Amino acid sequence: MNSPFFKFNYFGMDVSLILAFAIGIGFGFALERGGFGSAKILAAQFYFTNMRVLKVMFTAIVTAMLGVYFLSVFGFMDLSLIYIGNTYILPQVVGGLVLGIGFVVGGYCPGTSVVSVSTGKIDGLVYLAGVAAGIFVFGEMFPLIKNFYSSTDMGSLTLPQFFNMSYGFIVFLVVIMALGAFAAAEWGEKKMAAKKSEANS
Amino acid sequence: MKKFFANLNTEKKLAGAVFILGVIAIFAGNPYGGAFIKVNEKELALSTVNNSEKISVNDLADWIIKAKADFELIDLRSAEKYNEYAIPNSQCIPLVQLPEADLLRNQKIIFYSDDDVAASQAWFILKSKGYKGVYILDGGLNAWKEKVLFPKAPINGSKDELAQFEKMKEVSKYFGGQAQTDSSVTELTPSFKLPAASTGTQKLGTAPVKRKKREGC
Repeated sequence: MNSPFFKFNYFGMDVSLILAFAIGIGFGFALERGGFGSAKILAAQFYFTNMRVLKVMFTAIVTAMLGVYFLSVFGFMDLSLIYIGNTYILPQVVGGLVLGIGFVVGGYCPGTSVVSVSTGKIDGLVYLAGVAAGIFVFGEMFPLIKNFYSSTDMGSLTLPQFFNMSYGFIVFLVVIMALGAFAAAEWGEKKMAAKKSEANS
Repeated sequence: MKKFFANLNTEKKLAGAVFILGVIAIFAGNPYGGAFIKVNEKELALSTVNNSEKISVNDLADWIIKAKADFELIDLRSAEKYNEYAIPNSQCIPLVQLPEADLLRNQKIIFYSDDDVAASQAWFILKSKGYKGVYILDGGLNAWKEKVLFPKAPINGSKDELAQFEKMKEVSKYFGGQAQTDSSVTELTPSFKLPAASTGTQKLGTAPVKRKKREGC
């Protein structure tokens, strides 16, 4: 068995679209069940009152990372066939800030807004309309920011390459980081809960 | 010890498992498979027999017209010949420079030269390096000229063949060629003027424009 399946021509474009549809439904379902369809839960992350987003994200990252890493080590997957986008450090820092501000203000990121619309939330619908409008404005003004958009190109860069460490060691570090984040989140939530009950009494 | 594990909740058990996998990862090695190359001789031999790695010139013409961007077209001839005429959207990497070229392994790569020989060699070089999506333009540039740029009207062709030829006429016009309606011409003479290399998106003499990859999110 060789993966990625599409790159090894196990199926063509048509089947890949059907599979993408099925995977997309699974992804959306997991997001909704994980609580990512609620702006309250998502925004609470930024005030550290609810650490669910951090936990779900790190769970996903660690699961996917360990899966991809060990499947590749065992030879089930050809990692070099997986597409890695380029790193444009400055534009991506600016873009990340814009997305972050939008996230706190609107309560959704682009993906979760779609999830919230699927459960009939009006705020999600408004958010989605904003996303569409933003894409349109971005497209129209693209010539103006074209140079910045593709500046500070570092090529397709991975953490092992950047830090010049072995791939396995980076995997270990990310695991430690995730476990640390989990522990900190649990501890923080207990603190917050204690504070709340104090305030209430 | 048993009691210790029984007292742990699911989250702690999972966290422990993840930690153990993380520690193993330090010693498990490089997932990119390192420098060694596995050559599957049987697969190589089979693919040369069943022509599955060949792309016909008509398919390629179709893809270029439809502006498909999921492949890299590589011209293996010398730079001078490339500047003289090249298939639109191709980039020039002479065969000798191929081992140094940083072609992406996740890209569909189509090689062509005047005929099949150089393309087959290039195909083999990349295949032995473990590239998966490597293809040869069947018949090379000669076939391109014969079938796409200067297609000949079928002699006593059936209705279908004639309809097909009408389509090919349009295709050849698109690439700046000229269909040969006079079927008495049996051989391609050098007097056929090749279209200037600027007929496509590729400008004459300029470096190939790197197209943005349509992949990822």
